[in-house]
Amino acid sequence: MIAYAPYLILLLPLFAAVAIRLFLHPFPRIAVPVSVAACLGSFLGSMMLLSSGTPPGGMAAPAIPWIELAGLKAGFGLVADPLARLMAALVTGVALLVQIYSLGYLAKDPCRSRFFAELSLFVFSMLGIVFADNLVTMFIFWELVGLSSYLLIGFWHERPAAGAAANKAFLVNRIGDFGFILGILGAWSLFGTISFADLPSRAASGAPFWAVTAVGLGLLCGCLGKSAQLPLHVWLPDSMEGPTPVSSLLHAATMVVAGVYMLIRVLPILELSAVTMNTIAWIGALMTLLPALIACQQNDIKRILAYSTLSEIAYMVMAVGLNIPGPAMYHLVTHAFFKCLLFLAAGSAIHGCHDEQDIWKMGGLRKRMPFTFLVTWIGTLALAAIPPVSGFWSKDAIFAATWDRPGLAACSMLAGFFTSFFMLRMILVAFDGKPRTEEAKHAHEGPPVMVVPMLILAVLSVLSGIFPVAEFLGMKPDHPHHSWTLWLSLILAVAGFVPAHFLYADAVKDPIQIRILQAKFYVDEFYQRALVATQDGLGRLADAFEGWVVRGFVVRGSGVLARSAGQGLRLVQCGQVQLYAAVFILGALGIITWLLWKGAA
Amino acid sequence: MMFGEITLGHYLALSGLLFLVGLVGVLLRRSLLIVMMSLELLLNAANLALVAAARFQKIPDPQVAVFFVITVAAAEVAVGLAILVAIFRLKKTTSAEDFATLKF
Repeated sequence: MIAYAPYLILLLPLFAAVAIRLFLHPFPRIAVPVSVAACLGSFLGSMMLLSSGTPPGGMAAPAIPWIELAGLKAGFGLVADPLARLMAALVTGVALLVQIYSLGYLAKDPCRSRFFAELSLFVFSMLGIVFADNLVTMFIFWELVGLSSYLLIGFWHERPAAGAAANKAFLVNRIGDFGFILGILGAWSLFGTISFADLPSRAASGAPFWAVTAVGLGLLCGCLGKSAQLPLHVWLPDSMEGPTPVSSLLHAATMVVAGVYMLIRVLPILELSAVTMNTIAWIGALMTLLPALIACQQNDIKRILAYSTLSEIAYMVMAVGLNIPGPAMYHLVTHAFFKCLLFLAAGSAIHGCHDEQDIWKMGGLRKRMPFTFLVTWIGTLALAAIPPVSGFWSKDAIFAATWDRPGLAACSMLAGFFTSFFMLRMILVAFDGKPRTEEAKHAHEGPPVMVVPMLILAVLSVLSGIFPVAEFLGMKPDHPHHSWTLWLSLILAVAGFVPAHFLYADAVKDPIQIRILQAKFYVDEFYQRALVATQDGLGRLADAFEGWVVRGFVVRGSGVLARSAGQGLRLVQCGQVQLYAAVFILGALGIITWLLWKGAA
Repeated sequence: MMFGEITLGHYLALSGLLFLVGLVGVLLRRSLLIVMMSLELLLNAANLALVAAARFQKIPDPQVAVFFVITVAAAEVAVGLAILVAIFRLKKTTSAEDFATLKF
């Protein structure tokens, strides 16, 4: 019975999405509870699955045969090993809290049926990735996540910026997905299997080094797109155009961690190549630092959090690159709670200030929204890895593994410094001081449905560090612990608060202006230019082809041919009936002569 | 006897002569009325050859063809003359040269 639980967990949100889309769309009063109930059902199922004992070898739900060709066998099977069960509980739990929060956040939106249908679709797609037992199934749900994130980011489609952000997210993800599908094909041709269960044994069979490196980098490409890592990170900050609960869901437990989850699933392939692992580790290390720097000069509260997400995901990517999946998952879990909390708190502040997202137009929210202020602090402590809050324990496990890699350690610990800096900056500017606008003066806490999820998440953000993730997953034990990583990272994290306090306490406008950070290292501009140059070149080439070959040769050429043929042939037409008759008779004579001659021969 | 018995060859020679006369009439005469008469001559030349062949070969098939030709000729004359009358009413002439409008 319990073997079928993954199917139930997976299909409930799909059922809700389809039911809302087909029947309940005009009735938000029914549609919204249906969506929440489906998510609750999935969550309860996941919790049941999580708490049930593990038979040896994990629990695989019976697979449905699907593609069966010579050499390729892909069933639609669901896997329920500890990794999937933990992830499923996390996804459904966070999704449930976000849905409850959305009840308050979108209470007045006329399109909320659509919103909840899309949220349910998103949860379904994400659960598909979690439970997929082979790469092809995972890729299908991977694409579904891309689609549903596109729908959610562009939820307010009447805003041009939201539409553009949705397109950007979709297109940038396509680039990553292309690498991912190449990686899947490569893995299949190298190892002859796409099933996660068979990968460890097949991967050991000894494939050429360059081939496993290429496959690993291809799979990494998929992660770079979904998890928004360098150089495909540009879509994530723009995706802030979506409603805040969407940002929260996308950034906490679902879309962006899908890449990390996938990397952990295909770790047996990645492990084969030191080049791949080093690439992953270095991309992770750089991406911890760069977004943290950018976030120091952003003014949109959601964008600050978006960049912090990039940075935190990069810690997990780096952990995968260091071959410590246990701490990666550990940080994934704690990050899911505190990042979701931070986004919901930011949403609460935005909601309270009537959709104002600029922190310089808030100010003084501490007195008006004390609860939001409190939970933001809890989230900040977790994000900045200050003990004893959860983020400290998970980040420490990652730092501990960098003890013999000074470059990685330097990048990631410096990132911790800047994380503390920009988070305190955000709190001081948005919540401290005096209200700077009328909206901020009249800010107020949201309804209970918004407060309760934040409360639950705040508790989890503090306590989730206790959960022994690595042991639960049965992954390899931690590295030998060198205490200098702990102390150095902690000192740097605390040190980050100091300059922020001196610069931003009672600041009315930003005392430092660093152009390159405000412009996000000009990556968007670079892509824009590069794209424009490429596109112009291609456009000119296509125009020349069209002008000379299509229009000049094919279209005009055929016209000229027909016209000149007509001009020539019309001279034959003299209009004299008797001449025609003469020609006809000559022709007939000719044919008769030929027939006779042939008969004679 | 100088001419001896009349053979199939004689008939076919006469038929060929008639066809030639008709052909020359069709190609060279200007009056459309005469052209049409020459057309009849062509058809009858063919009929003569067919009937003679049927007679000498003792087979009935060509005679069937002749009936068809006669029928078609009757219809053709009826339509042709009607057109000719209409054209004459329009242009007050029956000369083939004046009907060269089917060009360019």
